[in-house]
Amino acid sequence: MADTIHIAFIGNPNCGKTTLFNAFTGANLKVANWPGVTVEKKEGKTTYEGQEFKLIDLPGIYSLTSYTMEETVSRECIMSDEVDVIINVIDASSLERNLYLTLQLLELGKPVVLALNMMDIVEERGMEIDFHRLPEMLGTPAIPVSARKKTGLSILLHAASHHKEYQSQGPYIHHHKDKHSSHRHNHHEEYAMVYEDYIEDKIDLIMSALTKQYPEIVNKRWHAIKLLERDSTVTNSCPLSLENIICKSYEKDIINQKYDFIEEIISEVLVNKSEKAASTERIDRYMTDRWLGLPIFLCIMALVFFFTFTIGDWLKGYFEIALEMISQYASSGLASIHTNAMLTSLIVDGIISGVGGILTFLPNIFILFLALAILEDSGYMARVAFVMDDIMSMLGLSGRAFLPLLLGFGCTVPAVMASRALEHKKDRFKTVLVTPFMSCSARLPVYVLFSSMFFGKYAMLVCYSMYLLGIVVAIGTAYILSKLDGSKAEHTLLIELPEYKSPNARTIAIYVWQKIKDYLTKAGTVIFIASILMWAVLNFGPHGYVTDIGESFGSLIGKAIVPVFTPIGLGYWQIIVALIAGIAAKEVVVSSCSVLFGIQNITTARGMDAMVATLGELGFGAANAYALMVFCLLYIPCTATIATIHRELGSIKQTLGILLFQLLTAWSISFLVYHIGLL
Amino acid sequence: MTLKQGKNNGIYQVLSIHTELRLERRLEALGLTEGTCITILNNDKKGSLTARFRGTRFALGRQIADNIEVKEADR
Repeated sequence: MADTIHIAFIGNPNCGKTTLFNAFTGANLKVANWPGVTVEKKEGKTTYEGQEFKLIDLPGIYSLTSYTMEETVSRECIMSDEVDVIINVIDASSLERNLYLTLQLLELGKPVVLALNMMDIVEERGMEIDFHRLPEMLGTPAIPVSARKKTGLSILLHAASHHKEYQSQGPYIHHHKDKHSSHRHNHHEEYAMVYEDYIEDKIDLIMSALTKQYPEIVNKRWHAIKLLERDSTVTNSCPLSLENIICKSYEKDIINQKYDFIEEIISEVLVNKSEKAASTERIDRYMTDRWLGLPIFLCIMALVFFFTFTIGDWLKGYFEIALEMISQYASSGLASIHTNAMLTSLIVDGIISGVGGILTFLPNIFILFLALAILEDSGYMARVAFVMDDIMSMLGLSGRAFLPLLLGFGCTVPAVMASRALEHKKDRFKTVLVTPFMSCSARLPVYVLFSSMFFGKYAMLVCYSMYLLGIVVAIGTAYILSKLDGSKAEHTLLIELPEYKSPNARTIAIYVWQKIKDYLTKAGTVIFIASILMWAVLNFGPHGYVTDIGESFGSLIGKAIVPVFTPIGLGYWQIIVALIAGIAAKEVVVSSCSVLFGIQNITTARGMDAMVATLGELGFGAANAYALMVFCLLYIPCTATIATIHRELGSIKQTLGILLFQLLTAWSISFLVYHIGLL
Repeated sequence: MTLKQGKNNGIYQVLSIHTELRLERRLEALGLTEGTCITILNNDKKGSLTARFRGTRFALGRQIADNIEVKEADR
């Protein structure tokens, strides 16, 4: 069979590119970063009629200039030999804007196949697209697909494999009635996008200069256009003395003429452009309303947490029963084969209790991510940026910075990475600094455990208050910072508000599965190792294996730091050791507590009662529990987050500064909360 | 007048854009250039507004809206 065909998927953000890519590859894709930059690169494989295809998902971009990292990466990838055919995914419901990227792709000179996605929305609005006229005008196949219903997928691959040889497309059929070119070449027969004569004259001049100086360049027309635009990459890679040809940047002219041509395409291709008030606009009237927007958002978030806790806890009950059974079987099983006490202790108290305890929180985390995925896929998240923009700008941040913060409810690592979308360095630093204050899902087990132990029926309220406190601290910090640096931040909100759509089950399933997989992997690796380490630190002391935990290394370390934590109500060496262990991953605080206090299956009702009793003897009450939750919320984030912060900021000094700041904040606020709680 | 001074459901034509270069480039890539027609959707708030141009809805921050000079489009 023929060699593997390499296909690159490219398109605007929110055009359904990833959904389409997932429809071909399923969840088995390889995710990595592009070399040298922190832009995600996804690869997958598929076969159609015995032909193998390698698929590359490029970042969503609006244009192929080289102003952003994403654009540069995409452009380099497409221009390289790595790609045989480009599939340009187009949101057919906003054809006008999507075609701008298409025209740029066509100029690259590689085979392009158009995949027109979201045709259902087009039909819903009573519009039609002329699929004969569109290829005639652009000289490239145009295939209607539905990424969500998985239709048109094979035709698309078919078109890609048959179209890969055709470098120049055509024939082009234009009806330029009012444009009579006096240009000596009739480029309308050669290219889809033809500029006005004064540009075409210059392109011809530059092309002949290029032919003389750089005969090896394949696509001279594209290089000529880029030189006219004064594109920095191309200008540097093939310097030409063009003083007499180019006296200014023609970028604006080129953009405007591309959009002029797009208007021409739209007028011929889009039939029945009756713009009846789309349902999106009706929904937006409420969602983005001046007064209703914020309350609606708060209600939605409250609902998300309500489901996370009620349904999550109900499912968690069954997980706990299973865990208790496993732990009992393991104990009796190990005893029956006469395993020595130390090994039994390691397996039952260390591993099963530690890792198992974390696994029982899977339902809560599953529901939280499910809810976030639905909000994101439906298109609501972008509205949140708009709704929050006024409040955020008072804090000297763009409404866009709210997205990383919101993602922070899920996991801080992707949230910190999402801060990349912010243009200004100062904005980015501020966002990275405050994002870890947003309570991530790993902290949830700590709240659930301690709030249900000490607050009974108010447990859910206490948990919700943690999330609110996280937001308040994050926002407060940003506010104080913007007051300190005094500068009116240069933030600007500019975000697309995509069409509302019913969320796609497959997209959500893949998203949630990836998160669950991360969580399970973490339970199997970091938490597994942390549990064993904890067990070792607590069962060995200066005199070897100890049966009394009070003589272990752990207790020695903890006891040394007790004075620092006494003022905030956490002056218990067990708690301190658990918190230190929690830096590995926040869930470890829970698993460590079970090991530290020697309570098996701490998340079950029986385990909790035992824990409350043990803690009660030490004088640890509700105020201490609340202070502990607050400290967990705010103190140093997990190792994965620290690594991400360092990678994003590229400075050890700034990273350490952030950690120190978070530690101090956690201490001060826990101090306040504890003393208020004592009153 | 500036875009921020526009009314809901009004259609305006861009006369000029005065922003820093990077932002101007991004707006250009989205199809917001001189001569583009913009329909304002929601300009009730003090800060940002939502508007539609080139067939797509966008939320534009105040800094952008204040720096786009427009005139009412002829219908």
